Amino acid sequence: MTTNIKKLLLLGGGPTNIGHENELDAAAYERLTAIKKTGTQVIYVDDNPFSFASEEVQPADVYVQAVNFQNVVKIIEKEKPDAIMPKIGGLNAMQVAWQLEESDVLASHNIQLLGIRPIDLRKVLDNQQLREMLTETGEPIIASKIVADDDEAMDFVRDVGFPVIVKPLSASHDTSRFICNNTDELEDALEISFKRTYIKRVSIEQSIVGYKEIEMVAIRDENGNKLLISGLEDMDPIGIHSGDSIIFAPTQTLINQEYQALRTATFRIMDEINVTGTCHIQFAQSRTNANYYVTKVSPFFTRNALLAAKVTGYPLSYVSTLLEMGYALPEIKLPEKYSKYLPFMEPTMDHVVVRIPLWPFRDIPDVDQHLNTLMKSVGSTIGVGRTVEEAIMKAMHSSQFSPRDILPSVSKVNDDDVINQLIHPLASRILILMEALRRGFSIDELSELTKIDRFYFYKMNQLLRAQDFVINNPLSPTAVEVGHKYGFGDGMLAELWHVNISTIERMNRNAKQKVTFKEVEPSAGEFMEATNVFYSSYELENESRACPGKTALVIGRGGNQLGPNAAADYYTAQILNTTRKAGYQTIIMNTNPNAISLAPALSDKQYIEPIQLGNILNIVNLEKPDIIFLPGNRHYLSNKLREFADLNMVVLPPDQKVAKYKQKQATDAVDLFIDQDRILPITTISFYTKSHRTELRYINDYQQPMAHWQREENDLITEAISKIDTSQWQGLVQVLFYKDAAATYQFAGIRPIRITESAFLNKTTGVNWIDALVKKYLGILDIDQLASYYQPGIHKRYAMMEAVFPFKELQSNRTDGTSTQEVGSSLSFRKIDSSTI
Amino acid sequence: MGKIILDKMAMQRALTRITYEIVEKNKGVEDLVLIGIKTRGIFLANRIADRLQQLENVTIPVGELDITNYRDDIEHDSLSTDVKMSNNKIDFSVEGKRVILVDDVLYTGRTVRAALSAVMDLGRPKSINLAVLVDRGHRELPIRADFVGKNIPSSQKEKIKVYVSEIDDKDAVELIK
Amino acid sequence: MTQRYLILEDGSAYAGKAFGSLATTTGELVANSTMNGYQEIISNQIYHNQIIVFTQTSIGNTGLAQNAYESVLPSAKGVIVREYENLATDHFKRISLDRYLKRHKIPGIYDVDTRQIRRHLQQKGNMMASIVDVADEHAFDQLHATVLTNQQVAQVATPKPYPNPDEGANVIVVDFGLKSGILRELSKRDCNVTVVPWSATSEAILDLDPDGVVLSTGPGAPGNLPESVLQMIREVQTQVPLLGIGLGHELFAMANGAKVDQLRVEHHGSNHPIREIITNEIFFSGQEQGYAVDSKSIDHAKLFITHIDLVNGTVQGLRHRDYPAFSVQFSPDGAPGPKDSVGLFDDFTEFMARRRDNNDDEY
Repeated sequence: MTTNIKKLLLLGGGPTNIGHENELDAAAYERLTAIKKTGTQVIYVDDNPFSFASEEVQPADVYVQAVNFQNVVKIIEKEKPDAIMPKIGGLNAMQVAWQLEESDVLASHNIQLLGIRPIDLRKVLDNQQLREMLTETGEPIIASKIVADDDEAMDFVRDVGFPVIVKPLSASHDTSRFICNNTDELEDALEISFKRTYIKRVSIEQSIVGYKEIEMVAIRDENGNKLLISGLEDMDPIGIHSGDSIIFAPTQTLINQEYQALRTATFRIMDEINVTGTCHIQFAQSRTNANYYVTKVSPFFTRNALLAAKVTGYPLSYVSTLLEMGYALPEIKLPEKYSKYLPFMEPTMDHVVVRIPLWPFRDIPDVDQHLNTLMKSVGSTIGVGRTVEEAIMKAMHSSQFSPRDILPSVSKVNDDDVINQLIHPLASRILILMEALRRGFSIDELSELTKIDRFYFYKMNQLLRAQDFVINNPLSPTAVEVGHKYGFGDGMLAELWHVNISTIERMNRNAKQKVTFKEVEPSAGEFMEATNVFYSSYELENESRACPGKTALVIGRGGNQLGPNAAADYYTAQILNTTRKAGYQTIIMNTNPNAISLAPALSDKQYIEPIQLGNILNIVNLEKPDIIFLPGNRHYLSNKLREFADLNMVVLPPDQKVAKYKQKQATDAVDLFIDQDRILPITTISFYTKSHRTELRYINDYQQPMAHWQREENDLITEAISKIDTSQWQGLVQVLFYKDAAATYQFAGIRPIRITESAFLNKTTGVNWIDALVKKYLGILDIDQLASYYQPGIHKRYAMMEAVFPFKELQSNRTDGTSTQEVGSSLSFRKIDSSTI
Repeated sequence: MGKIILDKMAMQRALTRITYEIVEKNKGVEDLVLIGIKTRGIFLANRIADRLQQLENVTIPVGELDITNYRDDIEHDSLSTDVKMSNNKIDFSVEGKRVILVDDVLYTGRTVRAALSAVMDLGRPKSINLAVLVDRGHRELPIRADFVGKNIPSSQKEKIKVYVSEIDDKDAVELIK
Repeated sequence: MTQRYLILEDGSAYAGKAFGSLATTTGELVANSTMNGYQEIISNQIYHNQIIVFTQTSIGNTGLAQNAYESVLPSAKGVIVREYENLATDHFKRISLDRYLKRHKIPGIYDVDTRQIRRHLQQKGNMMASIVDVADEHAFDQLHATVLTNQQVAQVATPKPYPNPDEGANVIVVDFGLKSGILRELSKRDCNVTVVPWSATSEAILDLDPDGVVLSTGPGAPGNLPESVLQMIREVQTQVPLLGIGLGHELFAMANGAKVDQLRVEHHGSNHPIREIITNEIFFSGQEQGYAVDSKSIDHAKLFITHIDLVNGTVQGLRHRDYPAFSVQFSPDGAPGPKDSVGLFDDFTEFMARRRDNNDDEY
């Protein structure tokens, strides 16, 4: 494979937020391994401090800057790249690419835009052009019209039929939308709307609320070769954002004709916009006839595009990269472990994946929690099984907030609330649906109320029956069998029956069907693929063999919620990287489809399994790992696992419970690395909060080094070291200080360096401290080398890490939040101005 | 706005069919040369040549013909053959060859008549055949195509526009009212 | 739930639960990895005397649509699946899968490790299997003693001609076990179709004054059909445009001197890229094949290879050098599977139109 692109500007995804987790970073990581093979130099722009991918690029070629027009223009002027690759940066990067085109930057610097031609990019980003393009292609779009009087509105409705949505243009107050199902409602809506509009114009559009939402993810090369990665079916109808919908893969309720029509439409649109690489197209599919509408065209990486890759095991980002660079699909070569046919074989699944979103309402309760057209979820988790029920159940294991493996239910909600929530769904969507079934709502009734296909209620009903059977037959071998078949883990069975998990394990020994692991691979058993991604099911054939040699199991965090999740994922990825380089066969277990730690190249084996005791033990029993890493603060799980004394488990960072505080506020800190009796100072940090509060829980913004470091840093470090008792404190440790009104530093406490700040230190000091920490626990740390390598105290710049909160996206008026409310962070650097010294 | 009569896929299929028919009719590709007529016919001729390359692993010469100076509706009698030929790129002899003229649209037949004169000026081919992507009817001369991608009956008021991705950013045939 | 067994020729047995008919049947075991279209698959006559293992985990989810049958009387010998739904929830709902299978005496087994069976078949190659109540020695003896008919086409194809009138080109479809998808595509192109029995002679066909002839899909080995069929093809191809699909393709190849071999493992799915040689482009289509044309046996002075399967290298399309006669191994009608190559039917109608134009010229 050859390319004439020598220098490539890659735009990153930026800080994590609602609608965007680490998936773009994971994809970027996969992408960089592909670009390396072509010998092309990469310039990478991203300001996500928890980016693992950026560490794959030569430090000199990484620009830690926000991906925006101004920054990118400057970088282009300096670096003069041959091509720019925006697709991995999502919609934001595509818009930046468009600005570059509009302002003639691309042409004047002779830069090739990869993935889509400028003329076609415009067709996608400009809504009017998109409509024209789709109409010309013969693809149906939702009819809409701007009308000046009732007659015009009636003409429109006669054409498209009810229901319609009426909205006043340039309205005097909030832009209300009226859904009209008949002439009376339409007349009322028009009357109000014409009163409210300043310009005597009202928009009227065909309503597709209640349609099925179907998503198609496909790739295309320059020659027009196309391949469908997967279809995804949103269980929730149009009206609930697809990011907030429960998603099934493969599609469950489409007949072949409908499915193929959407596939053909997807390909036609991709041809029309000449896209290369990934494209994600969303459709509204009627429930009553074969009609569909195109609702969204995204010729770039989205969360669900990457979900399609994850559920099929297809190396989407890798292949897409090469297609964007101009390679043809049949000439793509994959890393060795894949079969040579895989890049151009259309994935076919023999498993079911269910994605359940996770919402931030526990941490930010004072917002509108209803699920609607605005996306509110901050993370998601997937369950993989051989049946729909098993996959739903496994996703439910992972999507609850309780760390315990209990059977989630909402049995305490009163009947009125159940009905209310059926119509106006909240985060507990699936539990309410099941509760309604339990209370005797008929499937037809529920399908009518919720516009969810009856198929799903039928499945939930099966699950309920299984639940009842399991609950009512404690410790019976048949109940164990039923429980296993329907995705109840051993942990959940133990919780339900109030017994120790070892009791269930004993029963398992006599059970007919043992736990087996099946591979997630895209050929449905036709080829002996080695994707090394597994999930459990209770069947006949086990396909996962214990990894040979020294093995390390890393237990991932599961789906992202608010708090340090993006950082924890970065942290987990670092653990994998270090253990692997240290000669361990590494095994990751996770359920977050967007996690960088699940990137195929980062570990030797991946288990997509609920992070629950029973599931962990199943893997431990098979793999017998030499060491288990448990990153993050998970008291319940770490306590439970500690009951198994023969497990060699390392919790990183050490449990925050060991922290010792003199007071719960601080302004500055000294970070130290301690190995036995050696104490290495790392750096000083100043804390900031947007509201100038100093309580620890509000601290989200950090500066390295501390303010006034020129005068005060050395003394503070000496002071910090004097507080350390090395028999108590090891590894990454932070000594906190509070600068009082008299400008003296009072000792405030000692704690393990938290995950977010560990990531920050990696990015700002040029030393991988997490790597050092893991090596310490593996017993292979060379502290002298580390000491000689790292020279603190020389500062040319300030590094700033500021928390990102999802308040605006959730339509909250808040501006400042606690560390449990952050959804991500942004990183920036500022030169130290010598005049201020 | 135009109505798409052939989309990218249909256009490709039409060229594929023409290619097979050329081989079929000529009992092979021996002595075959392609001559594309001015702008779009040239790209179409190249695409047919690419297909023949794929199919038979032979490189068929492709010439480019600009018939502006041969049109009977333009005053050109005073021009010498050299001047008439100056815009052409045909670096092979047509003597004894089976020439396939390639054009995008066959309409009145005047372009083809001019092309025939031009080819005749170049030498004496064994045969000349005509391949067109679209035949829209309304002939003014006794000329017919041997290979037609698609017959598109049209009124004289309508326009047929052929787009080729090499210069038009897309492949399509549109009917413009 | 009644427990029943799938037993395989090599001695292996899989216990599962029964659905559909409770008949005891024997057939060749094949795995189909298409992700949609269980209805089209089960009702396709190519599965005559075959037991189908679905790798898609769940079938029956959408009931049976009125307009998605591939034949009136399905002839598959069984259906094996991980999970089965006796539903009729979709908007075309009429009949549930269970009712359909009972009606047509097709037994089903669910709740088995279909992934293991699929992997097993892939390693061991094609084999016979039975669906039985008890997996005992007697059952295996029965299985080993069973000889399946080689008159498959005669059992599923129409014995008498019938018309499917329209106003377009006059197309004769030779029925070797026709799937309805072919008729649907011809109808969309307004073809005036007459379906004739597989044994129709060229004379009988040409007497119907066709603009074109289609050789349909069908079950079994092409070698089981008599030489007279090949003779018919050799005569018809010189007269009118001809399109062969599936078994029709294999027969077209044989009529022009090529050899057809049985595959070690039958391939049923839509995940293999098919390369069209003339454009060097790839696409996907439903593939259901137990046999393949031996590429080495092809006389290149007579036939072009037009398409190949990029994964297993099999010949997927042929075209005659001298006549507008062509054939494909795969199913371009997308019932089930991608419709990427449905334009082949347009090619066929264009060839018919060219022929009529040229005939007009001659008058």
